[in-house]
Amino acid sequence: MPKLSRSWWHGFFVIAAIAGASALTLVSLRDFRREAQPPENRPIQSQVAGYVTSNACRACHAENYASWHGSFHRTMTQVATPGSLPDDTGRLELAFEGRQYKTERHGDKFFVRERPEGGSYGQPQQVVLVTGSHTLQVLWLEAGQGRTLKQFPFAYIVAEKMWAPVGETFLLPSDLKEYYSLGAWNGACMDCHVTQGQSRFVEGNKWDSQVAEFGIACEACHSEGREHVERNRNPIRRFKLHLTTKSDPTVTNPARLKGPDSALDCGQCHSVWAFNNMPDKIDFNRHGAAFRPGAHDLAQRFVVQPNAPDHAEQKDFIRRTEPDFFSNRFWGDGMIRVTGREFNGVQASPCFRSGEFSCLSCHEMHLDSPGQTSLQTWARTGQLKPKMDSDAACLQCHKDMSARLVAHTHHAADSSGSRCYNCHMPRTTFGLLHAMRSHQVSSPSAQESSAYGRPNACNLCHLDQTLAWTAQNLRAWYNQPAPELSQDDQTIAAAVQWILKGDAGQRALIAWGMGWASAQKIAGRDWLYPYLIYTMTDPYAAVRFDAWKSLQTLPGFSGFSFTYTATDRSLSEAAARAYEKWLREVRDENAVYRPETGLDSDGRFQQDVFQRLRSERDNKRIILAE
Amino acid sequence: MKNSDRNLRFGWWSLLVYLSLGLTLETLHGFKIGWYLDVGNEIRRLMFTLGHAHGTALALVSIAAGLTARNVSGFELRPSVSFALIWAAILLPGGFFLGGIVTYGGDPGLGVWLVPVGALLLFYGVARFAIDLSKLK
Repeated sequence: MPKLSRSWWHGFFVIAAIAGASALTLVSLRDFRREAQPPENRPIQSQVAGYVTSNACRACHAENYASWHGSFHRTMTQVATPGSLPDDTGRLELAFEGRQYKTERHGDKFFVRERPEGGSYGQPQQVVLVTGSHTLQVLWLEAGQGRTLKQFPFAYIVAEKMWAPVGETFLLPSDLKEYYSLGAWNGACMDCHVTQGQSRFVEGNKWDSQVAEFGIACEACHSEGREHVERNRNPIRRFKLHLTTKSDPTVTNPARLKGPDSALDCGQCHSVWAFNNMPDKIDFNRHGAAFRPGAHDLAQRFVVQPNAPDHAEQKDFIRRTEPDFFSNRFWGDGMIRVTGREFNGVQASPCFRSGEFSCLSCHEMHLDSPGQTSLQTWARTGQLKPKMDSDAACLQCHKDMSARLVAHTHHAADSSGSRCYNCHMPRTTFGLLHAMRSHQVSSPSAQESSAYGRPNACNLCHLDQTLAWTAQNLRAWYNQPAPELSQDDQTIAAAVQWILKGDAGQRALIAWGMGWASAQKIAGRDWLYPYLIYTMTDPYAAVRFDAWKSLQTLPGFSGFSFTYTATDRSLSEAAARAYEKWLREVRDENAVYRPETGLDSDGRFQQDVFQRLRSERDNKRIILAE
Repeated sequence: MKNSDRNLRFGWWSLLVYLSLGLTLETLHGFKIGWYLDVGNEIRRLMFTLGHAHGTALALVSIAAGLTARNVSGFELRPSVSFALIWAAILLPGGFFLGGIVTYGGDPGLGVWLVPVGALLLFYGVARFAIDLSKLK
């Protein structure tokens, strides 16, 4: 064999190295292309005209990007991954309406198998998206019809670390089993849970949905960024803007808008809205929202305020075609009663008329004072500005009030009755299993309760007092005319009436309110046990949940175990167990029960009152949902 | 003073200054100073790091230029080259440092405009140096 020269070997190694490197590059390129192919079984992020996504914003606005990244707006819809799903998603075995569900994890993908009663497990369906973040997470499955999504019947309640049927995580009648139908995410949820979504209906139940970005990203509030990015590649332009106080016309900064326009930016999602007409609905579905931050109206849509004079024709149409639309969203006087629609309340507030008041009066979308609170705390507390969880929020404008606080409130300065929020923004909205503060700034009145059934701020704290007591004090302190009240309103505590004979929404508010520390301090705790235990058998799961959570705040019931989604029989057994525990172990024999509470001297129900109020319960169907 | 001596002296003193600034940056890291480390101050951190790195490197360039001129027989460091290398080592890192003191979101402060001036001087100085060295017989 001839001996190869040294230079031949050198040449050989060079060629081999080049060939090896080329082969590796080709393999990487093939994998990259395979990864880059968008999935076909779910909505995808796509190039929507003018939108550049938060990735493009990050380089120049690192701080704002970081605080947005830590917010729950970002995670409002995410692609299903091990990082975005609850930890136990891959090992669930759950049953719902006679069907068994088993989840599996393969690599970074999650699948659900479904078994009908008496049948066997079917083909795995991939979990593709997750909607919701800090309170509730709803999982979405591929449906085998393009990018149409199907709801996984269980939602994850983050605070409780538990799974519950989706229908039992909203305030819904018990017969409404599957709240989100096939394609509901594409047709409705994505209107607000993504940035510039395009539902893109195809046919039947098939959708080809695309989004600019999953979650609520920069461009949802600042408008599309392509022009902003392109024009600001010019450093001279940027430095000109840095050295002046001028706004950059290529992008919207909601903080620089007038109050109503700034608030509408939030209101594009945080409101009850409806389409102007069918062509606008089709346009929205096909091309996404025409509204851009800074505009004075929602373009294809309008904010539905029941008593406002605008869009009368459209509201009449809604009344005719969906008679419960208003009662499932608003109190009788037009005040919003569901959470997540805060703009309706803000817009109807007297403060709003000043033209300066907006969501940004109290909230901030980027953490502006990082030293004062952690990103996590800020995100978990409604992205409030520093001190905006106190009277400071209202004192920004009502500066004189701090000097005459006690004269105004008729409560001690350090009492919860002297906190602006408690009287003017009481918890009269409900959703996602909890009561939330009304964002319609108002003054408490007995009239709002007697005429519209809305629990007033006074009786939400003074749970053991009658409506007549409230009316009398409001007349004495504020010269409010007292409404004509029933005999019950004069003798039975308002909260007792609401929790026994109110509609499901009223019952939920009181069940939650009985766990409120401020109310317990004022109204006492001893008498709350029987009502909360009884309410654990309420026909509405959300009401039962709040009764259970409030019961856990009372001495002797911390950590009390209760499955609020169980069968009626199990619920009754659990309530009986709780009642026995209270009666035998927890009840204070020296406790005094005021007659207004409807309890006798032993703390048991006055049966005639209890039975009568229960029989008068308002059983109309209530849906307070997202 | 000969040009090569000037570059040598400047090089060593500026090396001391820029290494000291490096120590300052390490101290800012050590005490987790938000003004330097917070996410929103990413540009400041980048500018200071670039300033420190360029300053140190250009100090070494100045030393190398001085030593080359001393040790290569027949080679004379032009005054313009000496001037360019010294001012490049001042303006370029100085621009980065000044640009990091006041920042505008993703943009450095106005001081950063000194950087391209320094870069041009550096380019001229190095190119002229290389050409002059190549012309030696």
